[in-house]
Amino acid sequence: MTVFKTFWKVVKKYKGTIILYTVMLIVFGGINMATGDNQIDFVDSKPDVLIVNQDEEKGITENLINYIEDNCNIIDLEQDEEAINDALFYRDVNYVIYIPKGYRKDVLDGKNPELDIKSTGDYQASLAEMMLSRYVETQNVYVKGLENEADIIKAINDNFSKKTSVEMISKLDTGKTGKATLYFNFASYSIMAVVIFIICLVLSSFHEKTVNKRTIISSINYKTHNRLILSASFAYSVIVWALFLIVGMILLGDIMLTTRGLVYMLNSFVFTFCSLTIALFISTLVNDKNAVSGIVNVVALGSAFLCGAFVPAEWLPDTVLKIAHVLPAYWYINSNDLLESIEVIDMTTLKPIFVNMAVIIGFSALFIVVNNIVSRMKQKVG
Amino acid sequence: MDNVIEVKNLTKEYKNLKAIDDLSFEVKEGEILGLLGPNGSGKSTTINCILSLLNFQNGSIKIFGEEMRPDSYDTKSKIGVIFQEVAVFEELTVYDNIDYFCGLYVRDKQIRKKYVEEAIELVGIEEFKKFYPKQLSGGLLRRLNIACGIAHKPKLIFLDEPTVAVDPQSRNNILDGIKKLRDDGATIVYTTHYMEEVEIICDRIIILDKGKILAQGTSDELKKNAKIEEKITVEVAGMEEDNIETIRQFENVENVSFDSNVLIVTYKKGENNLGELIDYLRNNKIKYDKIFSERPTLNDVFLELTGKELRD
Repeated sequence: MTVFKTFWKVVKKYKGTIILYTVMLIVFGGINMATGDNQIDFVDSKPDVLIVNQDEEKGITENLINYIEDNCNIIDLEQDEEAINDALFYRDVNYVIYIPKGYRKDVLDGKNPELDIKSTGDYQASLAEMMLSRYVETQNVYVKGLENEADIIKAINDNFSKKTSVEMISKLDTGKTGKATLYFNFASYSIMAVVIFIICLVLSSFHEKTVNKRTIISSINYKTHNRLILSASFAYSVIVWALFLIVGMILLGDIMLTTRGLVYMLNSFVFTFCSLTIALFISTLVNDKNAVSGIVNVVALGSAFLCGAFVPAEWLPDTVLKIAHVLPAYWYINSNDLLESIEVIDMTTLKPIFVNMAVIIGFSALFIVVNNIVSRMKQKVG
Repeated sequence: MDNVIEVKNLTKEYKNLKAIDDLSFEVKEGEILGLLGPNGSGKSTTINCILSLLNFQNGSIKIFGEEMRPDSYDTKSKIGVIFQEVAVFEELTVYDNIDYFCGLYVRDKQIRKKYVEEAIELVGIEEFKKFYPKQLSGGLLRRLNIACGIAHKPKLIFLDEPTVAVDPQSRNNILDGIKKLRDDGATIVYTTHYMEEVEIICDRIIILDKGKILAQGTSDELKKNAKIEEKITVEVAGMEEDNIETIRQFENVENVSFDSNVLIVTYKKGENNLGELIDYLRNNKIKYDKIFSERPTLNDVFLELTGKELRD
């Protein structure tokens, strides 16, 4: 009990650091959640289109122009080729439609004349092309079936006047899950920093050469002593995890009490355990309190930046993400990102998340094994 | 008196270096044994072998009649060690530090509390119980270090240079504390660089060099075995080489040295030596000032045996 109690007395001396990282999580995690609104909205999108009409603006041709005007933003531009090319280059216009001379007549004669186009090739240009193709195909159908131009125009317009109501049915509150993901992603930094920082500082006190020597020659079994320190370290990590969950419950509310919330918690627990194994490994390698701060910055901050704890992973370059694969935080954050968008929670949708957790557990096992090897090597050298 | 420590034919080698060479000695119950030797003589290696902190190639070590092994927890519970380096937690108060190290031996909270208070009183740091190590002076830190090593009331205590870089007040306090521990029944193995401390507190002394015992006995026994019996030191204005050579021819003279106007003459036997030397100086009109005649010190014995000053 003396060893266990002393562990907590030493931890207590570093409570300022724990409070600092908790406040950071509340402040920066809170800001992240407030600014990163992940609610999915649908907005009407119209491409910018320029019509170069070389035909008379009557009948079929006039109807085509009206259709384009209804569905696109018509750009008024000097119809000079150089000016058109510049407008396309600077994305002032997405799509240019050239209506050739005699288009109306050729359509009515069933010749199916071609429309020349120029495009920026982007998403908006594709949208314009899709709309134009739809119109031309519809027009061709009615030209073959009807003889009178007025009847053809009426049929085309009737066809396009029919509206279909589309409703997106989703039970997923992406606003809440998005906030939960942002919180837990940021928490990866806080968890890692608080666990590694404090455990390394506390263990460096216990492992300080002369203190350690005094422990070895005492009447306590050295293995028992080390087991007690490990138990205390594990208990400390669980308390840190619980503390950040309480903060999460306050900030995120009822989502934490759902199945999805439980998976977020489980994922963060696995990550906390992995952080503990990293801390134990570092404390075996380094026994200098002054070096601990620098190491925590490199490991926790570096890992957070590389894996997308502060900014969404999709914003990061592919090379960075490839490197991040060797860090446990990447798999943890990836699971949080998946949890944000999963519609239905079941074993099938959770499978990739459990795979990620298995990878993190694999990392933990690796750190434990390497730690044991390094520890034995150091004992032999000592 | 029973032997508390029995070391027989102990040999410890590091690759090609023999750190301890067939060492045998005993430490008797209730005595303070001084372990003296220049740097690298094997003192720390010997202690580390006794405490099972180091493996050794040959020999046997018994403590309280039991063979000492790394898992001899019963034996270890009777041992206290005070290292030269201060071994405490920076994050714990003086009281908590002593309580922690005492707790490695004593589980009962009430008994431990009593022991911790007694250790604090023994080293005289009652006013600093709630202080953190960083707030203590070097001397107080040493006292805390000692309290951490002896709070569990060990029957055998190893003290490795406990007074290095300590102010005179703390040193006296520490030496008084060690004597009190001995008076309370503890057996003590004491290593130090300070010869005067050894003369004051040690019942018996072992002089080690190159892993071997050069001499052992009480302070007086060691001095009696020395080749010199008297040492005369004279401050003179100046001396010719002829004068020095003449003095060297005097009866019983062992050695003569002259450096920085200080003449040192050592004698194998000590009768009428001072008068003879003063007569010679006066007759040869050599001006002299202060004169000291003294019996050989432990330092002289050490120098004679090892050829080195203890603090080299």
